[in-house]
Order: sequence, then structure tokens, then C-alpha cells
Amino acid sequence: MSFSQQPILEMRKAAKAFGGVQALAGADLTLYPGEIHALLGENGAGKSTLLKALAGVHKIDSGSIVLNGKNFEQGSTRLARDQGIAVIYQEPSLFPDLTLAENVFVGRQLSKAGFVDWKAMEEEAQKLFAQLGVQLSAGRRARGLSIADQQIVEIAKALSINAQVIIMDEPTAALSSKEVERLFSVARNLKEQNCSVVFVSHRLDEVFALCQRVTVMRDGATVGTDLISNIDENKIIKMMVGREVSELFPKQPAELGDVVLKVENLGQAGQFTGINFEVRKGEIVGLAGLVGSGRSEIVRAIFGIDKYDTGSVFLNGKSLARGSASKAMDAGIAFVPEDRRQQGLLMPYSISTNTAITVLKKLSRAFLIRAKKEKEVAITWGQTLQLKYTSVEDAVEKLSGGNQQKVVLGKWFATNPELLIVDEPTRGIDVGTKSEVHKLLSQKVQQGLAVIMVSSELPEVLGMSDRIIVMREGRQTAILNREDATPEKVIALATGAVSAK
Amino acid sequence: MKKLSKLIRSRELPVFFALALVYFGTGFANPQFFTVTVVNDIFLGVAIVAVLAVAQTFVLVMRHIDLSVGSVIGFTAFMIGDLSSQGYPLIVVLSAALLIGAAVGAVNGYLVAYLRLPSLVVTLATMYVVRGIFNEVAKGQTIVESDVPEELNWLGLNRFFGVPYLFIIGIILMLVAGFVMYRVRAARDLYAIGSNAAAAELVGIPVNRRVFFAFLATGAISGLAGAVMLARFNSASTNSGLGLELVVIAACVVGGVTIAGGAGTVYGAVIGAILLQEILLAIGALGIPQFWQLAVNGILIIAAIGLDRYLSTRVKSTSIMGNK
Repeated sequence: MSFSQQPILEMRKAAKAFGGVQALAGADLTLYPGEIHALLGENGAGKSTLLKALAGVHKIDSGSIVLNGKNFEQGSTRLARDQGIAVIYQEPSLFPDLTLAENVFVGRQLSKAGFVDWKAMEEEAQKLFAQLGVQLSAGRRARGLSIADQQIVEIAKALSINAQVIIMDEPTAALSSKEVERLFSVARNLKEQNCSVVFVSHRLDEVFALCQRVTVMRDGATVGTDLISNIDENKIIKMMVGREVSELFPKQPAELGDVVLKVENLGQAGQFTGINFEVRKGEIVGLAGLVGSGRSEIVRAIFGIDKYDTGSVFLNGKSLARGSASKAMDAGIAFVPEDRRQQGLLMPYSISTNTAITVLKKLSRAFLIRAKKEKEVAITWGQTLQLKYTSVEDAVEKLSGGNQQKVVLGKWFATNPELLIVDEPTRGIDVGTKSEVHKLLSQKVQQGLAVIMVSSELPEVLGMSDRIIVMREGRQTAILNREDATPEKVIALATGAVSAK
Repeated sequence: MKKLSKLIRSRELPVFFALALVYFGTGFANPQFFTVTVVNDIFLGVAIVAVLAVAQTFVLVMRHIDLSVGSVIGFTAFMIGDLSSQGYPLIVVLSAALLIGAAVGAVNGYLVAYLRLPSLVVTLATMYVVRGIFNEVAKGQTIVESDVPEELNWLGLNRFFGVPYLFIIGIILMLVAGFVMYRVRAARDLYAIGSNAAAAELVGIPVNRRVFFAFLATGAISGLAGAVMLARFNSASTNSGLGLELVVIAACVVGGVTIAGGAGTVYGAVIGAILLQEILLAIGALGIPQFWQLAVNGILIIAAIGLDRYLSTRVKSTSIMGNK
């Protein structure tokens, strides 16, 4: 890398809003040929939006992107690629039925006299694989290829179009350590060939091992860019967090009661292992960690959506059946899933149907559902939750995200649960409704509810939880008490920047 | 060597073996099966389905389906006879058949590609619509031998070095389509679309246009195939081609063209068609009651899908350091 050279790419003051949410607000990025550049930031810091702007998926609202001295034309992924930007996604989407050679050249197959030249294509692809130092047969089909190998095919594709900027979006998340090593050598190889590689990863050790420079983003803006040799892990974490834990999340102190849930040595092959914790009446236990660290999988296993392989779960001292959500519900557990649109609500149905669905047994007589009772339940909960609606007969798909989430909460509160599991309770919800949801949880906890909360938002976890379990790659690295938990500590434990005791 | 291993792994080979197995197995039990007449019966009988199966392959590899082909071929067979009996020259009559087929294909293609309606439903609907128009136009009339153009009559009766002309037409179509599907970029795109439609869009393949033209081509060939049908049977009525679309799809599936899209060739489709026809005759030769034929077809389809699933799970997966 030589900084005396012209930068290959310069993004200045890029801004992009989706509806009311400002995803990018003054993002800067400068890339030089022959460097591997780390792009870091918490979940929701704007990395993905920035990458998608460069990939041609999103158009920025304002700001400038200059590529190779020319204005970068935005509009489509095809256009971005033609200008020399290639993106390697965490899980590439190849064509399983086509050969690797054809996958590399798909849409622009090499041809001779107007007809596809298979021989040239296979030779060319084979050359690219060799150039990357990878053993893959260009003639085989892509079906059955490991994710690591699929990424290699995408990188070969990028090389074949002479991409100058190759963006790798969390490429190592699904790779084994051996595969990560190979990817690193491929990335260094690209750097030698004067490509500019953007490397997005949550694993700081990888960033230090591979990259020359680093850009940190927070709240849609670039916080800073520096040489990796000028910076250390603590500094990066400070830059990523950089804000006070706001008072938006007012967990009221509640009296702790008996142990409601006890999890002993829980494990699921390939997902998580050795999970131990308790949740008491009146307590919120937060599950923090990166996406893919096993947080959601644990709560799904506790609720019985998935089966766990080892360990046991006790509710009020009684063993809970494995792999049965309906038994978990009967025992008094409620579960608010991560994706409310797909898993939490019947979108085209009314507020009252959605709210009453968990208590239908109680409402029905002789197998017939009593619509009037349904409505009563919905109205009661609508008021408690300060739901904004015109009629409980309205379809929930018409409601805002925040109000939809309230309906999901309402339908579970209607069952009078002893333990509530919430996965990403406020994702995609505006700030005002967010604090209402938090207040609501807080109130319920004061009345003796026990809560497990999974969240990717650090301020939420820190603000709401009495205790925080930090997860990393399927293991619990620490359980922190509220007073000991700082953003820096949680991030360090979640990314492996320090080893847990 | 490389070519050989490619051949061994091809999806068409097992079907080809089945073909040989049925042939020799039946011949062993009933030596009369080993006569030239039987082979010719197979070839003649398979011509129509072979042509339609080639056309159907275009849409199947895109993970679509065209159920309207049975109605189209019946309708155009009738129209060729009808127009010809009114004195129109053959070239005009055949052009009309082509245009009718292309028009139905264009409607299918437009609804599927641009309005994003599911092809199963769209072509089910056009299957009925075309059959309805056919009934209205025909008003219960039938085409008889005297209405059939002389040239078609001749084609249906004669052979080239012992091979029926109709079968040769099917083989030529298969070879041309086979070459196009392998060596023409736009046709390769059909495989990409069927394999991963979202990714096809992302790499800049004009998906809508490709889907549209593939349906157009399927319709046009099915329309022209009316000539083959008329040449074969020397007659046509409002029942012509009824239910044929399912026989065609069965032939494709048995021949390794998957309903899931992305894989299969026109060669496989034709071999599949021949296998089904061969089994029909084998059942007769073995003295098995004819109604078993349908059941055997059904079992074959399941066997084909089962084999397909087996082959795709058996496919080598790569691990850590990416061995070949």
C-alpha cells in the first residue's frame, strides 16, 4: 500500500435515510490500492448500508463517491460491478446446478464466433483458482460446495472482471479456522495484485492479523480512520461505543423473588454448549453477544422450538419437557420471537384475533371461538399497552412496527406468563415506542415477571438487564452484574478481545 | 477420459440404461419384440411427445411449467387440416400454426414474466381457454384424411432408410435445441434462472425477457407440432391432444429434466419420451393388461425423482481445504 498514490475510492459525507431512520449520516471512507481495510462498528452503525451503497443496492441521498477519479455511477449491482466494485457476501448465492467455470462467468460467458466457449471458460476459471492458490475443479458443479469454497468462487468472479475494490462482508462468520487462514492468504494475494480489499468482521483479532488500516463507524457516521499500527483494541472499542448509556431505558428496581428458571449445562450440537444460568422473579437477564453467537438458539431451545442435546431446563424447580413449545406455554413461558412479521403475528388478521390467539382455549366454548370475548381481551391489552389503533378489527399489517410489537407483547401478556423470553424486543421500532416497550417490561417485572432478553443493542441490554450473560461463539464467556457491566467490557467479551476468566 | 467421466455422471445415462433394460428384457421374454416393426412403432409413436418434450424443457429448466401445450397442439392440428381443406397453401397453413402457438406462448410468457403470476396456474388457465376457443372454432367438426395436406400425409407414411420421417423431425429438433441450450448464451441463462432466480437477477441477466421468450419458443414449437400430430394420425378432433401435456412432462421428468429447475437436457427429455413409449409396447408384448401402463408410468416418475434426489445428495461436498 502506498498512500502517495491516488486513492482508488473516496466516499465523502454519504447520507441515506430509510423512512424516518437515518442509516447513514456523514459516512467517509477512503481506500488505497493494495490495502486491506477493516470496516468496524456495532450492529446498526451503518456498515451494511455503506456496503450496499458501494454494491449498487442502495443509492445515497447526498454526499459523493469517487471511484478511480471518476464519479461512481449508482443504480444497480450490475453497474457497480462494471465499474470495478465486487462484493463477497457472508453467504454467497451461486448457481448450484452450474459448473464453477460457468458460475464465474455467468451472464457474460466467454464465447467464440457467437457460441459459448466452454473450454476457454474452464481454463480461465482454473487459472483464476490457481492464481488464488486454491484447489478447486472448474468443471464441477457448485452444489455441495462449502461456504468457504463458494466465497472463493465469488472472489474468482471478482478477479475475472478486474475488480479494483473487493468488499468482504463478514466473510469469516461461518468459516472454520483453517478456512479463515486460507481466506486470509487469498486476501493478501489480492492485496499483492493491487486490489483494495474491504474487510468487515466483528472479530478484532482477525482485523489485527489481516488489515493495514481501519475505519470505525457509529450511528451512521465515520468516527475515525487510522493505521492499524497506531491503534489498539481498547481504542477501537471506545470508538465503536463512544456514547453514554442513555437514560432511555429506565429499568425500575424490582424485588427479586424465587428462582423461576434454571438452566443447567445446556448444549446443542454446533450451536452452543455449557450454558448455565438462573432467572428469578422480578429479574431481567440480558443475553448479549454478536449475531451468530448462539443467543437466539438458546432461547429457542429453552422454549422448545428446537431441541437441545445436553443439559436440562427447570421451571419452578420442575423439569421442563424438551422440544415442546406447547408444554412450555402450559408451564407459563411466553416467547416473543425476533422476527415479528414472520413468526410473531398473523399479518392479515385483526388485532383482536392476534391478541387472543394464545388464550383461545379459555375463550372458546364447545370448540367455537367467542368473537366478543376476543375483542374484550384485545381492548383490555390495547389500553394497557397504549396501543394506537382505530379499531381492534384492523389488520395488524396496517400498524407501525412499534405497535405491532405491542400486539405481540399483548398476546403473550394475556397468558399471564411467569417467564417471558423476548428476542430483539425493539428492533426497527422508533425511539418513543421503544421506551414505552421498555417501561412496560419494567412494570411487568415489578409485578414479579421473570424476563430473558436477547438484544443486539448494547444500550438496551445495559439499560434493562439486572444481569448480563455475554455469549461468544456458542459459549457463555461471562455473567456480569448490572453495576459491573460497561459497554467496553461487554464488547471485549463478545469479540474475544480479552479472554474470560 | 474426462469426457468419459462426464458421460458416466450425466443424468441421461441411467435413463438410457433403463431403455436398454426394458428392450432386452422384453425381447428375451418375447422374441417378437426384437423385430424392426417394434422399433419403428416406438419411433413413430414417440415423435409427437418427443417434439413437445424438447419444447417443454425450455420452461422446465427455468423452474416453470407449460400445461397449455396439449391444447395448443390439438388446436393447430385441427387448424392445419381446416385451412388446408379450404385451399390455403401449406406454407401459409404452417405459418398460421406457428403463429397460434407463439401467440399462446406470448400470453403465457407475459403473464409469468412481467406480471409474476405462477406458471402452473397461468398455463392451466390458458390450457382451458385454448381448448374452449378450439371447441368454438371447430363446432364439433372433425378433420378427416381428405383434409390433410398431401405433404403431411406423405411424411406420416414414409421412412428414410427405414426410419420414420416424423421421428427424424423430432431428432433434428432435439439436436438443434441441444446445441442451442449448450452453446448459446441466452439459453444458458435459462439454466441460471432455474438454478437461482434471485442471483440471476443480481448478475444482470434480463430474467423477464428470457422467461418471456422461452415461453414464446415453447408455444411456437408446440404450435408447429400440430403438423406432426396431423401427419401421424391423419385426423383431428376437439379431443386431440387432450391430456398430452402431462405425458410430455412425465417424459421430461423421467428423462432427468427436474421440476426444480436448473438441470436436465433436451436429450434426456427425448430419451424419457422413448422410454415411456417403449414401455407401452413392452406391456403389450408381455401380455400384461394395458391398464397397467399408466401405473408403470407413475412408478417411473417416482423412480426418476428418487434417483434425482439420490444423485443430488450423493454429490461431493467440499470441506475445509476444498479438495476437488
